[in-house]
Amino acid sequence: MTTLAAPPASALRSGVVYWWHSYRMMLRWEMVSLRMVLVITVIVQILTGAGFVLALGLFFGTVPPRAALFVSTGVLVITLITIGLVLGPQLVAMQKAEKTYDFLWSLPVPRTTAALAWVTTNLILGLPGMAVALGVALLRYDLDLHLSWAVIPAVLLTLFTGTMVGYALAHALGNPMLVAAITQMLIFVIIGFSPINFPADQLPGWLATLHRWLPLAPMADIVRAGLTEGVVEGVARSYLVLGTWAVASVGISAAVLGRRG
Amino acid sequence: MPEERRDWSLRVRDLVKTFKEVRANDGITLRVEPGEVYGLLGPNGAGKSTLVKQVIGLLAPDSGTITLGPYDLVADPDAARQLCSYLPQAQMPIASFRARQAIDITGMIRGGDRDTVTRRRDELIEALDIGEWRDTLGAKLSGGVRRLVGFAMVTACPGRVMVLDEPTNDVDPLRRRLLWQEVRRLGDAGVAVLLVTHNVMEAERAVDRLAVIDRGRLLAEGTPSSLKAEDRGRLRLQVMLGPRVETPALPPFVQLHTRVGHNLMTVVAEAEAAHAIRWAQELMGLGLAEEYALGATTLEDVYIRLTGDVEAAGREAG
Repeated sequence: MTTLAAPPASALRSGVVYWWHSYRMMLRWEMVSLRMVLVITVIVQILTGAGFVLALGLFFGTVPPRAALFVSTGVLVITLITIGLVLGPQLVAMQKAEKTYDFLWSLPVPRTTAALAWVTTNLILGLPGMAVALGVALLRYDLDLHLSWAVIPAVLLTLFTGTMVGYALAHALGNPMLVAAITQMLIFVIIGFSPINFPADQLPGWLATLHRWLPLAPMADIVRAGLTEGVVEGVARSYLVLGTWAVASVGISAAVLGRRG
Repeated sequence: MPEERRDWSLRVRDLVKTFKEVRANDGITLRVEPGEVYGLLGPNGAGKSTLVKQVIGLLAPDSGTITLGPYDLVADPDAARQLCSYLPQAQMPIASFRARQAIDITGMIRGGDRDTVTRRRDELIEALDIGEWRDTLGAKLSGGVRRLVGFAMVTACPGRVMVLDEPTNDVDPLRRRLLWQEVRRLGDAGVAVLLVTHNVMEAERAVDRLAVIDRGRLLAEGTPSSLKAEDRGRLRLQVMLGPRVETPALPPFVQLHTRVGHNLMTVVAEAEAAHAIRWAQELMGLGLAEEYALGATTLEDVYIRLTGDVEAAGREAG
Protein backbone atom coordinates (compact mmCIF):
# COMPACT_ATOMS: atom_id res chain seq x y z
CA MET A 1 0.00 0.00 0.00
CA THR A 2 1.35 3.41 -0.91
CA THR A 3 1.25 6.59 1.10
CA LEU A 4 -1.22 8.06 -1.36
CA ALA A 5 -3.86 5.34 -0.97
CA ALA A 6 -5.97 7.43 1.44
CA PRO A 7 -8.17 10.21 0.05
CA PRO A 8 -6.62 13.70 0.35
CA ALA A 9 -7.33 15.80 3.41
CA SER A 10 -10.53 17.78 3.27
CA ALA A 11 -10.70 19.51 6.66
CA LEU A 12 -9.24 22.99 6.75
CA ARG A 13 -6.46 23.67 9.20
CA SER A 14 -6.69 26.65 11.54
CA GLY A 15 -5.72 27.84 15.00
CA VAL A 16 -2.49 28.42 16.89
CA VAL A 17 -0.90 25.04 16.09
CA TYR A 18 -1.45 25.60 12.35
CA TRP A 19 -0.06 29.14 12.60
CA TRP A 20 3.03 28.07 14.54
CA HIS A 21 3.72 25.13 12.21
CA SER A 22 3.37 27.41 9.18
CA TYR A 23 5.65 30.03 10.72
CA ARG A 24 8.37 27.46 11.44
CA MET A 25 8.11 26.01 7.94
CA MET A 26 8.22 29.42 6.25
CA LEU A 27 11.22 30.42 8.35
CA ARG A 28 12.92 27.21 7.26
CA TRP A 29 11.99 27.97 3.65
CA GLU A 30 13.49 31.48 3.93
CA MET A 31 16.70 30.28 5.57
CA VAL A 32 17.27 27.52 3.01
CA SER A 33 16.37 29.89 0.15
CA LEU A 34 19.08 32.29 1.29
CA ARG A 35 21.59 29.56 2.16
CA MET A 36 23.97 30.43 -0.65
CA VAL A 37 24.01 34.12 0.25
CA LEU A 38 23.46 33.79 3.98
CA VAL A 39 27.09 33.76 5.10
CA ILE A 40 28.17 36.39 2.60
CA THR A 41 25.26 38.65 3.61
CA VAL A 42 26.15 38.39 7.28
CA ILE A 43 29.81 39.10 6.49
CA VAL A 44 28.86 42.12 4.36
CA GLN A 45 26.67 43.38 7.20
CA ILE A 46 29.52 42.95 9.68
CA LEU A 47 32.02 44.67 7.38
CA THR A 48 29.59 47.49 6.66
CA GLY A 49 28.94 48.11 10.34
CA ALA A 50 32.56 47.85 11.46
CA GLY A 51 33.73 49.70 8.33
CA PHE A 52 31.52 52.70 9.05
CA VAL A 53 32.82 52.99 12.59
CA LEU A 54 36.47 52.64 11.58
CA ALA A 55 36.20 54.87 8.48
CA LEU A 56 35.13 57.78 10.64
CA GLY A 57 38.48 57.60 12.46
CA LEU A 58 40.37 57.39 9.15
CA PHE A 59 38.59 60.45 7.81
CA PHE A 60 39.08 62.70 10.77
CA GLY A 61 41.98 61.33 12.78
CA THR A 62 40.72 62.68 16.05
CA VAL A 63 36.99 62.15 16.29
CA PRO A 64 34.95 64.34 18.62
CA PRO A 65 33.23 62.12 21.24
CA ARG A 66 29.74 63.27 20.22
CA ALA A 67 30.40 62.41 16.56
CA ALA A 68 31.82 59.01 17.57
CA LEU A 69 28.73 58.36 19.67
CA PHE A 70 26.36 59.29 16.84
CA VAL A 71 28.09 57.21 14.20
CA SER A 72 28.63 54.23 16.48
CA THR A 73 24.97 54.10 17.47
CA GLY A 74 23.59 55.18 14.09
CA VAL A 75 25.42 52.49 12.19
CA LEU A 76 23.58 49.85 14.22
CA VAL A 77 20.33 51.09 12.73
CA ILE A 78 21.81 50.92 9.24
CA THR A 79 22.87 47.29 9.69
CA LEU A 80 19.41 46.47 11.03
CA ILE A 81 17.31 47.95 8.24
CA THR A 82 19.26 47.65 5.00
CA ILE A 83 18.38 43.98 4.42
CA GLY A 84 14.67 44.54 4.94
CA LEU A 85 14.52 47.83 3.05
CA VAL A 86 16.87 47.03 0.20
CA LEU A 87 17.53 43.29 -0.18
CA GLY A 88 13.91 42.34 0.61
CA PRO A 89 12.27 44.32 -2.21
CA GLN A 90 14.99 43.18 -4.61
CA LEU A 91 14.37 39.52 -3.78
CA VAL A 92 10.62 39.93 -4.31
CA ALA A 93 11.24 41.79 -7.59
CA MET A 94 13.38 38.83 -8.66
CA GLN A 95 10.60 36.37 -7.75
CA LYS A 96 8.19 38.38 -9.86
CA ALA A 97 10.62 38.56 -12.79
CA GLU A 98 11.32 34.80 -12.60
CA LYS A 99 7.60 34.09 -12.17
CA THR A 100 8.13 32.12 -8.97
CA TYR A 101 6.05 34.63 -7.01
CA ASP A 102 2.75 32.86 -7.72
CA PHE A 103 3.99 29.53 -6.39
CA LEU A 104 5.18 31.09 -3.13
CA TRP A 105 1.84 32.81 -2.64
CA SER A 106 -0.09 29.67 -3.49
CA LEU A 107 1.39 27.93 -0.43
CA PRO A 108 -1.27 27.20 2.19
CA VAL A 109 0.08 29.28 5.06
CA PRO A 110 -1.39 32.31 6.85
CA ARG A 111 0.03 35.48 5.25
CA THR A 112 1.20 36.68 8.66
CA THR A 113 3.50 33.68 9.02
CA ALA A 114 5.25 34.44 5.72
CA ALA A 115 5.75 38.07 6.77
CA LEU A 116 6.96 37.22 10.27
CA ALA A 117 9.30 34.54 8.94
CA TRP A 118 10.89 37.24 6.77
CA VAL A 119 11.17 39.62 9.75
CA THR A 120 12.84 36.83 11.75
CA THR A 121 15.22 36.15 8.87
CA ASN A 122 16.17 39.84 8.89
CA LEU A 123 16.82 39.66 12.62
CA ILE A 124 19.10 36.64 12.16
CA LEU A 125 20.94 38.36 9.31
CA GLY A 126 21.15 41.79 10.95
CA LEU A 127 22.04 41.05 14.56
CA PRO A 128 25.63 39.81 14.05
CA GLY A 129 26.54 42.96 12.08
CA MET A 130 24.98 45.11 14.74
CA ALA A 131 26.81 43.36 17.59
CA VAL A 132 30.19 43.50 15.84
CA ALA A 133 29.75 47.18 14.94
CA LEU A 134 29.00 47.97 18.56
CA GLY A 135 32.02 45.97 19.73
CA VAL A 136 34.35 47.67 17.26
CA ALA A 137 33.02 51.09 18.29
CA LEU A 138 33.68 50.32 21.95
CA LEU A 139 37.23 49.21 21.18
CA ARG A 140 38.04 52.10 18.84
CA TYR A 141 36.43 55.01 20.70
CA ASP A 142 36.09 55.71 24.36
CA LEU A 143 32.28 55.73 24.16
CA ASP A 144 30.09 56.82 27.01
CA LEU A 145 27.45 54.11 26.60
CA HIS A 146 24.68 53.36 29.06
CA LEU A 147 23.03 50.16 27.92
CA SER A 148 19.42 49.83 29.08
CA TRP A 149 16.66 47.28 28.53
CA ALA A 150 14.98 49.85 26.29
CA VAL A 151 17.40 48.83 23.56
CA ILE A 152 15.51 45.55 23.05
CA PRO A 153 12.12 47.03 22.04
CA ALA A 154 13.99 49.76 20.14
CA VAL A 155 15.94 47.23 18.07
CA LEU A 156 12.89 45.05 17.49
CA LEU A 157 10.61 47.93 16.45
CA THR A 158 13.30 49.38 14.19
CA LEU A 159 13.92 46.05 12.50
CA PHE A 160 10.21 45.27 12.22
CA THR A 161 9.32 48.64 10.73
CA GLY A 162 12.27 48.69 8.32
CA THR A 163 11.43 45.18 7.15
CA MET A 164 7.70 45.81 6.81
CA VAL A 165 8.16 49.10 4.92
CA GLY A 166 10.39 47.19 2.49
CA TYR A 167 7.82 44.37 2.39
CA ALA A 168 4.95 46.75 1.55
CA LEU A 169 7.11 48.42 -1.11
CA ALA A 170 8.12 45.06 -2.57
CA HIS A 171 4.60 43.71 -2.92
CA ALA A 172 2.93 46.97 -3.95
CA LEU A 173 5.29 47.67 -6.85
CA GLY A 174 5.08 45.52 -9.94
CA ASN A 175 8.01 46.80 -11.95
CA PRO A 176 11.41 45.30 -10.96
CA MET A 177 13.30 48.23 -12.53
CA LEU A 178 11.34 50.68 -10.41
CA VAL A 179 12.06 48.60 -7.31
CA ALA A 180 15.79 48.61 -8.13
CA ALA A 181 15.76 52.39 -8.62
CA ILE A 182 13.88 53.06 -5.39
CA THR A 183 16.06 50.77 -3.28
CA GLN A 184 19.23 52.35 -4.69
CA MET A 185 17.88 55.75 -3.80
CA LEU A 186 16.93 54.53 -0.33
CA ILE A 187 20.50 53.50 0.42
CA PHE A 188 21.69 56.92 -0.69
CA VAL A 189 19.13 58.68 1.52
CA ILE A 190 19.74 56.42 4.53
CA ILE A 191 23.50 56.88 4.53
CA GLY A 192 23.87 60.44 3.30
CA PHE A 193 20.75 62.41 3.99
CA SER A 194 19.06 61.18 7.12
CA PRO A 195 19.87 62.02 10.72
CA ILE A 196 20.98 58.51 11.61
CA ASN A 197 24.74 58.96 11.78
CA PHE A 198 24.62 62.65 12.68
CA PRO A 199 22.26 65.00 14.57
CA ALA A 200 19.26 66.41 12.68
CA ASP A 201 20.39 70.01 13.29
CA GLN A 202 23.22 69.46 10.79
CA LEU A 203 20.64 69.03 7.99
CA PRO A 204 18.92 71.91 6.15
CA GLY A 205 15.84 72.99 8.10
CA TRP A 206 13.27 71.62 5.65
CA LEU A 207 14.94 68.22 5.48
CA ALA A 208 15.21 68.02 9.26
CA THR A 209 11.48 68.81 9.51
CA LEU A 210 10.65 66.18 6.89
CA HIS A 211 12.64 63.59 8.83
CA ARG A 212 10.52 64.24 11.91
CA TRP A 213 7.74 62.44 10.02
CA LEU A 214 9.77 59.79 8.21
CA PRO A 215 10.75 56.56 10.03
CA LEU A 216 14.55 56.83 9.76
CA ALA A 217 15.28 59.52 12.37
CA PRO A 218 12.91 57.96 14.94
CA MET A 219 14.66 54.61 14.45
CA ALA A 220 18.02 56.20 15.23
CA ASP A 221 16.53 58.08 18.18
CA ILE A 222 15.04 55.09 19.96
CA VAL A 223 18.04 52.80 19.42
CA ARG A 224 20.39 55.56 20.55
CA ALA A 225 18.19 56.26 23.58
CA GLY A 226 18.54 52.61 24.59
CA LEU A 227 22.34 52.86 24.48
CA THR A 228 23.03 56.32 25.89
CA GLU A 229 21.86 58.76 28.53
CA GLY A 230 20.92 62.39 28.02
CA VAL A 231 21.65 62.37 24.28
CA VAL A 232 18.16 61.85 22.85
CA GLU A 233 15.05 63.86 23.59
CA GLY A 234 11.44 63.17 22.71
CA VAL A 235 11.75 59.38 22.64
CA ALA A 236 8.02 58.88 23.19
CA ARG A 237 7.24 60.85 20.02
CA SER A 238 9.77 58.78 18.07
CA TYR A 239 8.08 55.56 19.23
CA LEU A 240 4.74 57.01 18.18
CA VAL A 241 5.91 58.02 14.69
CA LEU A 242 7.70 54.72 14.15
CA GLY A 243 4.77 52.73 15.51
CA THR A 244 2.51 54.52 13.04
CA TRP A 245 4.84 53.58 10.19
CA ALA A 246 4.87 49.98 11.41
CA VAL A 247 1.07 49.80 11.48
CA ALA A 248 0.76 51.54 8.10
CA SER A 249 3.26 49.21 6.41
CA VAL A 250 1.49 46.15 7.82
CA GLY A 251 -1.83 47.56 6.62
CA ILE A 252 -0.49 48.27 3.13
CA SER A 253 1.09 44.81 2.92
CA ALA A 254 -2.17 43.16 3.99
CA ALA A 255 -4.16 45.23 1.48
CA VAL A 256 -1.76 44.52 -1.38
CA LEU A 257 -1.49 40.79 -0.65
CA GLY A 258 -5.25 40.50 -0.20
CA ARG A 259 -5.99 42.29 -3.48
CA ARG A 260 -6.00 39.18 -5.72
CA GLY A 261 -5.71 41.00 -9.03
CA MET B 1 -22.50 13.72 5.75
CA PRO B 2 -19.33 11.59 5.98
CA GLU B 3 -16.41 13.29 4.21
CA GLU B 4 -15.75 10.43 1.81
CA ARG B 5 -19.35 10.50 0.56
CA ARG B 6 -19.50 14.24 0.06
CA ASP B 7 -19.51 15.51 -3.52
CA TRP B 8 -15.97 16.84 -3.94
CA SER B 9 -16.32 17.94 -7.53
CA LEU B 10 -14.77 21.24 -8.54
CA ARG B 11 -17.45 23.41 -10.12
CA VAL B 12 -16.71 26.57 -12.06
CA ARG B 13 -19.78 28.53 -13.17
CA ASP B 14 -20.03 31.52 -15.53
CA LEU B 15 -16.56 32.71 -14.65
CA VAL B 16 -15.64 36.17 -15.97
CA LYS B 17 -12.29 37.84 -15.42
CA THR B 18 -11.19 40.96 -17.25
CA PHE B 19 -7.86 42.74 -17.31
CA LYS B 20 -8.51 46.31 -18.44
CA GLU B 21 -10.34 45.77 -21.74
CA VAL B 22 -9.45 42.11 -22.25
CA ARG B 23 -11.93 39.43 -21.18
CA ALA B 24 -9.38 36.77 -20.18
CA ASN B 25 -12.20 34.46 -19.02
CA ASP B 26 -15.50 35.11 -20.68
CA GLY B 27 -18.21 33.03 -19.01
CA ILE B 28 -16.46 29.71 -18.42
CA THR B 29 -18.41 26.84 -16.86
CA LEU B 30 -16.92 23.45 -16.16
CA ARG B 31 -16.93 20.66 -13.61
CA VAL B 32 -14.13 18.30 -12.62
CA GLU B 33 -14.95 15.17 -10.65
CA PRO B 34 -12.70 13.65 -7.98
CA GLY B 35 -10.42 11.11 -9.62
CA GLU B 36 -10.72 12.75 -13.01
CA VAL B 37 -7.81 14.12 -15.03
CA TYR B 38 -9.27 17.13 -16.80
CA GLY B 39 -7.26 18.91 -19.50
CA LEU B 40 -7.46 22.62 -20.26
CA LEU B 41 -6.22 22.93 -23.80
CA GLY B 42 -5.70 26.17 -25.63
CA PRO B 43 -3.16 28.43 -27.31
CA ASN B 44 -1.01 30.92 -25.40
CA GLY B 45 -3.15 33.74 -24.03
CA ALA B 46 -6.34 31.65 -24.23
CA GLY B 47 -7.12 32.28 -20.55
CA LYS B 48 -6.05 28.91 -19.09
CA SER B 49 -3.63 30.27 -16.49
CA THR B 50 -6.06 33.04 -15.53
CA LEU B 51 -8.69 30.37 -14.90
CA VAL B 52 -6.50 28.19 -12.68
CA LYS B 53 -5.16 31.18 -10.73
CA GLN B 54 -8.76 31.92 -9.74
CA VAL B 55 -9.25 28.31 -8.68
CA ILE B 56 -6.24 28.45 -6.34
CA GLY B 57 -7.21 31.83 -4.90
CA LEU B 58 -4.48 34.00 -6.44
CA LEU B 59 -6.95 36.00 -8.53
CA ALA B 60 -10.55 36.95 -7.82
CA PRO B 61 -13.09 36.74 -10.66
CA ASP B 62 -15.21 39.71 -11.72
CA SER B 63 -18.24 37.43 -11.56
CA GLY B 64 -19.08 33.75 -11.42
CA THR B 65 -18.51 31.08 -8.81
CA ILE B 66 -15.93 28.42 -8.00
CA THR B 67 -16.84 25.79 -5.45
CA LEU B 68 -15.14 22.67 -4.16
CA GLY B 69 -17.25 20.40 -1.98
CA PRO B 70 -18.79 22.66 0.63
CA TYR B 71 -16.27 25.48 0.07
CA ASP B 72 -16.70 28.67 -1.90
CA LEU B 73 -13.19 29.19 -3.23
CA VAL B 74 -13.85 32.76 -4.41
CA ALA B 75 -15.03 33.94 -1.01
CA ASP B 76 -12.42 31.90 0.85
CA PRO B 77 -9.00 32.01 -0.86
CA ASP B 78 -7.39 30.47 2.24
CA ALA B 79 -9.53 27.37 1.71
CA ALA B 80 -8.53 27.43 -1.97
CA ARG B 81 -4.85 27.39 -1.07
CA GLN B 82 -5.27 24.59 1.46
CA LEU B 83 -7.38 22.39 -0.79
CA CYS B 84 -5.57 22.96 -4.11
CA SER B 85 -1.94 22.16 -4.90
CA TYR B 86 -0.38 24.16 -7.69
CA LEU B 87 2.52 23.38 -10.00
CA PRO B 88 3.11 26.61 -11.95
CA GLN B 89 4.48 26.75 -15.45
CA ALA B 90 7.64 28.55 -14.25
CA GLN B 91 10.43 26.63 -12.55
CA MET B 92 10.38 26.30 -8.77
CA PRO B 93 12.53 28.71 -6.68
CA ILE B 94 14.70 25.92 -5.26
CA ALA B 95 18.22 26.89 -6.39
CA SER B 96 19.61 26.47 -2.86
CA PHE B 97 17.44 23.50 -1.84
CA ARG B 98 18.53 19.90 -2.13
CA ALA B 99 15.90 18.02 -4.12
CA ARG B 100 14.64 15.92 -1.19
CA GLN B 101 14.67 18.94 1.11
CA ALA B 102 12.47 20.97 -1.29
CA ILE B 103 9.99 18.09 -1.43
CA ASP B 104 9.99 17.64 2.36
CA ILE B 105 9.52 21.30 3.26
CA THR B 106 6.77 21.85 0.70
CA GLY B 107 5.01 18.66 1.80
CA MET B 108 5.09 19.79 5.41
CA ILE B 109 4.01 23.34 4.49
CA ARG B 110 1.06 21.67 2.75
CA GLY B 111 0.14 20.03 6.04
CA GLY B 112 1.77 16.62 5.84
CA ASP B 113 3.40 15.20 8.96
CA ARG B 114 7.11 14.48 8.77
CA ASP B 115 6.88 10.67 8.56
CA THR B 116 4.20 10.60 5.87
CA VAL B 117 5.96 13.25 3.81
CA THR B 118 9.30 11.43 4.08
CA ARG B 119 7.71 8.14 2.95
CA ARG B 120 5.85 9.80 0.12
CA ARG B 121 8.99 11.68 -0.94
CA ASP B 122 10.90 8.41 -1.22
CA GLU B 123 8.07 6.86 -3.22
CA LEU B 124 7.95 9.84 -5.59
CA ILE B 125 11.71 9.96 -6.06
CA GLU B 126 11.65 6.27 -6.97
CA ALA B 127 8.53 6.49 -9.12
CA LEU B 128 9.91 9.44 -11.13
CA ASP B 129 13.37 7.85 -11.32
CA ILE B 130 15.21 10.89 -9.96
CA GLY B 131 17.07 9.07 -7.15
CA GLU B 132 20.51 10.06 -8.39
CA TRP B 133 19.66 13.73 -7.77
CA ARG B 134 18.00 13.40 -4.38
CA ASP B 135 20.80 15.31 -2.63
CA THR B 136 21.65 17.65 -5.50
CA LEU B 137 21.12 21.39 -5.15
CA GLY B 138 18.33 22.82 -7.29
CA ALA B 139 20.78 25.17 -9.02
CA LYS B 140 22.63 22.14 -10.41
CA LEU B 141 19.57 20.27 -11.68
CA SER B 142 18.67 20.18 -15.35
CA GLY B 143 15.40 21.84 -16.33
CA GLY B 144 13.61 18.51 -16.68
CA VAL B 145 14.73 17.09 -13.33
CA ARG B 146 13.92 20.37 -11.63
CA ARG B 147 10.45 20.12 -13.15
CA LEU B 148 10.04 16.62 -11.74
CA VAL B 149 11.21 17.78 -8.32
CA GLY B 150 8.61 20.56 -8.57
CA PHE B 151 5.97 17.94 -9.33
CA ALA B 152 7.08 15.90 -6.30
CA MET B 153 7.01 19.05 -4.13
CA VAL B 154 3.37 19.81 -4.85
CA THR B 155 2.22 16.19 -4.77
CA ALA B 156 4.06 15.16 -1.57
CA CYS B 157 0.91 16.19 0.28
CA PRO B 158 -1.69 16.72 -2.44
CA GLY B 159 -4.86 18.72 -2.02
CA ARG B 160 -8.32 17.77 -3.23
CA VAL B 161 -7.52 19.54 -6.48
CA MET B 162 -4.16 19.37 -8.23
CA VAL B 163 -3.46 22.12 -10.75
CA LEU B 164 -0.61 21.16 -13.08
CA ASP B 165 0.48 23.85 -15.54
CA GLU B 166 2.53 22.25 -18.34
CA PRO B 167 4.02 19.62 -15.99
CA THR B 168 6.11 17.84 -18.61
CA ASN B 169 7.98 20.88 -19.96
CA ASP B 170 11.67 19.97 -20.41
CA VAL B 171 11.10 16.41 -19.11
CA ASP B 172 12.60 13.55 -21.14
CA PRO B 173 10.20 11.10 -22.87
CA LEU B 174 10.88 8.22 -20.49
CA ARG B 175 10.25 10.20 -17.35
CA ARG B 176 7.24 11.89 -18.94
CA ARG B 177 5.62 8.50 -18.95
CA LEU B 178 6.51 8.03 -15.28
CA LEU B 179 5.05 11.42 -14.48
CA TRP B 180 1.77 10.57 -16.22
CA GLN B 181 1.60 7.35 -14.21
CA GLU B 182 1.89 9.42 -11.03
CA VAL B 183 -0.83 11.79 -12.27
CA ARG B 184 -3.07 8.77 -12.79
CA ARG B 185 -2.28 7.57 -9.27
CA LEU B 186 -3.34 10.95 -7.92
CA GLY B 187 -6.63 10.49 -9.73
CA ASP B 188 -7.01 6.99 -8.30
CA ALA B 189 -6.57 8.46 -4.80
CA GLY B 190 -9.52 10.77 -5.42
CA VAL B 191 -7.72 13.95 -6.45
CA ALA B 192 -9.32 16.07 -9.19
CA VAL B 193 -6.47 16.93 -11.55
CA LEU B 194 -6.70 20.09 -13.62
CA LEU B 195 -4.07 19.85 -16.31
CA VAL B 196 -3.15 22.98 -18.25
CA THR B 197 -1.38 22.32 -21.50
CA HIS B 198 -1.00 23.31 -25.10
CA ASN B 199 0.57 19.96 -25.87
CA VAL B 200 -2.28 18.35 -27.79
CA MET B 201 -0.74 14.94 -28.38
CA GLU B 202 0.14 14.47 -24.74
CA ALA B 203 -3.25 15.68 -23.55
CA GLU B 204 -4.98 13.13 -25.77
CA ARG B 205 -3.20 10.29 -23.99
CA ALA B 206 -3.28 11.65 -20.44
CA VAL B 207 -6.71 13.12 -19.80
CA ASP B 208 -10.13 11.64 -19.10
CA ARG B 209 -11.92 14.73 -20.36
CA LEU B 210 -10.78 18.05 -21.67
CA ALA B 211 -11.95 21.52 -22.55
CA VAL B 212 -10.63 23.52 -25.49
CA ILE B 213 -10.36 27.17 -24.52
CA ASP B 214 -9.61 30.14 -26.74
CA ARG B 215 -9.98 33.88 -26.18
CA GLY B 216 -11.43 33.27 -22.74
CA ARG B 217 -14.24 31.03 -23.95
CA LEU B 218 -14.80 27.30 -23.67
CA LEU B 219 -15.13 26.15 -27.28
CA ALA B 220 -15.69 22.44 -26.70
CA GLU B 221 -15.67 19.93 -23.89
CA GLY B 222 -15.70 16.16 -23.69
CA THR B 223 -13.60 13.02 -23.76
CA PRO B 224 -10.91 12.93 -26.47
CA SER B 225 -13.03 10.38 -28.38
CA SER B 226 -16.22 12.43 -28.18
CA LEU B 227 -14.40 15.52 -29.41
CA LYS B 228 -13.09 13.57 -32.37
CA ALA B 229 -16.56 12.18 -33.14
CA GLU B 230 -17.32 15.08 -35.46
CA ASP B 231 -14.24 14.14 -37.46
CA ARG B 232 -15.39 10.56 -38.01
CA GLY B 233 -15.44 9.70 -41.66
CA ARG B 234 -12.40 11.88 -42.26
CA LEU B 235 -8.74 10.99 -42.53
CA ARG B 236 -5.58 12.93 -42.05
CA LEU B 237 -3.08 12.96 -44.91
CA GLN B 238 0.28 14.26 -43.81
CA VAL B 239 2.75 15.12 -46.56
CA MET B 240 6.38 15.93 -45.86
CA LEU B 241 7.37 18.40 -48.58
CA GLY B 242 10.91 18.72 -49.85
CA PRO B 243 13.20 21.57 -48.75
CA ARG B 244 12.17 24.98 -50.14
CA VAL B 245 9.11 23.54 -51.87
CA GLU B 246 6.08 25.83 -51.94
CA THR B 247 2.67 24.46 -50.93
CA PRO B 248 1.36 22.71 -54.08
CA ALA B 249 -2.09 23.39 -55.54
CA LEU B 250 -4.60 21.45 -53.44
CA PRO B 251 -7.14 19.13 -55.07
CA PRO B 252 -10.83 19.85 -54.28
CA PHE B 253 -11.18 16.83 -51.97
CA VAL B 254 -8.85 18.42 -49.38
CA GLN B 255 -11.23 19.75 -46.73
CA LEU B 256 -8.70 21.43 -44.46
CA HIS B 257 -5.00 22.07 -44.63
CA THR B 258 -2.27 23.57 -42.48
CA ARG B 259 1.42 23.83 -43.05
CA VAL B 260 4.15 24.11 -40.44
CA GLY B 261 7.66 24.02 -41.84
CA HIS B 262 7.83 21.23 -44.40
CA ASN B 263 4.89 19.46 -42.87
CA LEU B 264 1.64 19.79 -44.83
CA MET B 265 -1.31 18.38 -42.91
CA THR B 266 -4.57 17.88 -44.75
CA VAL B 267 -7.95 16.41 -43.84
CA VAL B 268 -9.83 14.37 -46.45
CA ALA B 269 -13.02 12.33 -46.50
CA GLU B 270 -12.59 8.58 -46.01
CA ALA B 271 -14.20 7.96 -49.40
CA GLU B 272 -11.43 9.98 -51.03
CA ALA B 273 -8.61 7.91 -49.49
CA ALA B 274 -7.57 6.37 -52.81
CA HIS B 275 -7.48 9.79 -54.52
CA ALA B 276 -5.52 11.22 -51.65
CA ILE B 277 -2.88 8.50 -51.85
CA ARG B 278 -2.60 8.95 -55.60
CA TRP B 279 -2.14 12.70 -55.19
CA ALA B 280 0.56 12.21 -52.55
CA GLN B 281 2.36 9.70 -54.77
CA GLU B 282 2.22 12.20 -57.64
CA LEU B 283 3.82 14.83 -55.44
CA MET B 284 6.58 12.37 -54.58
CA GLY B 285 6.96 11.49 -58.25
CA LEU B 286 7.42 15.18 -59.07
CA GLY B 287 10.05 15.44 -56.35
CA LEU B 288 7.89 17.89 -54.35
CA ALA B 289 7.31 15.54 -51.41
CA GLU B 290 9.60 13.14 -49.57
CA GLU B 291 7.05 11.00 -47.75
CA TYR B 292 3.43 10.86 -46.72
CA ALA B 293 1.22 9.18 -44.15
CA LEU B 294 -2.52 8.58 -44.13
CA GLY B 295 -4.23 7.92 -40.82
CA ALA B 296 -7.16 8.63 -38.52
CA THR B 297 -7.73 12.23 -37.51
CA THR B 298 -6.35 13.10 -34.10
CA LEU B 299 -7.30 15.49 -31.36
CA GLU B 300 -4.79 17.83 -32.94
CA ASP B 301 -6.98 18.19 -36.02
CA VAL B 302 -9.96 18.96 -33.78
CA TYR B 303 -7.87 21.48 -31.89
CA ILE B 304 -6.76 23.23 -35.07
CA ARG B 305 -10.31 23.30 -36.38
CA LEU B 306 -11.54 24.88 -33.14
CA THR B 307 -8.77 27.35 -32.41
CA GLY B 308 -6.89 27.85 -35.65
CA ASP B 309 -3.72 27.50 -33.54
CA VAL B 310 -1.59 25.90 -36.23
CA GLU B 311 1.73 26.86 -34.72
CA ALA B 312 1.21 25.15 -31.35
CA ALA B 313 -0.26 22.03 -32.87
CA GLY B 314 2.52 21.79 -35.41
CA ARG B 315 5.22 22.36 -32.84
CA GLU B 316 3.92 19.59 -30.63
CA ALA B 317 3.38 17.26 -33.55
CA GLY B 318 6.92 17.75 -34.76
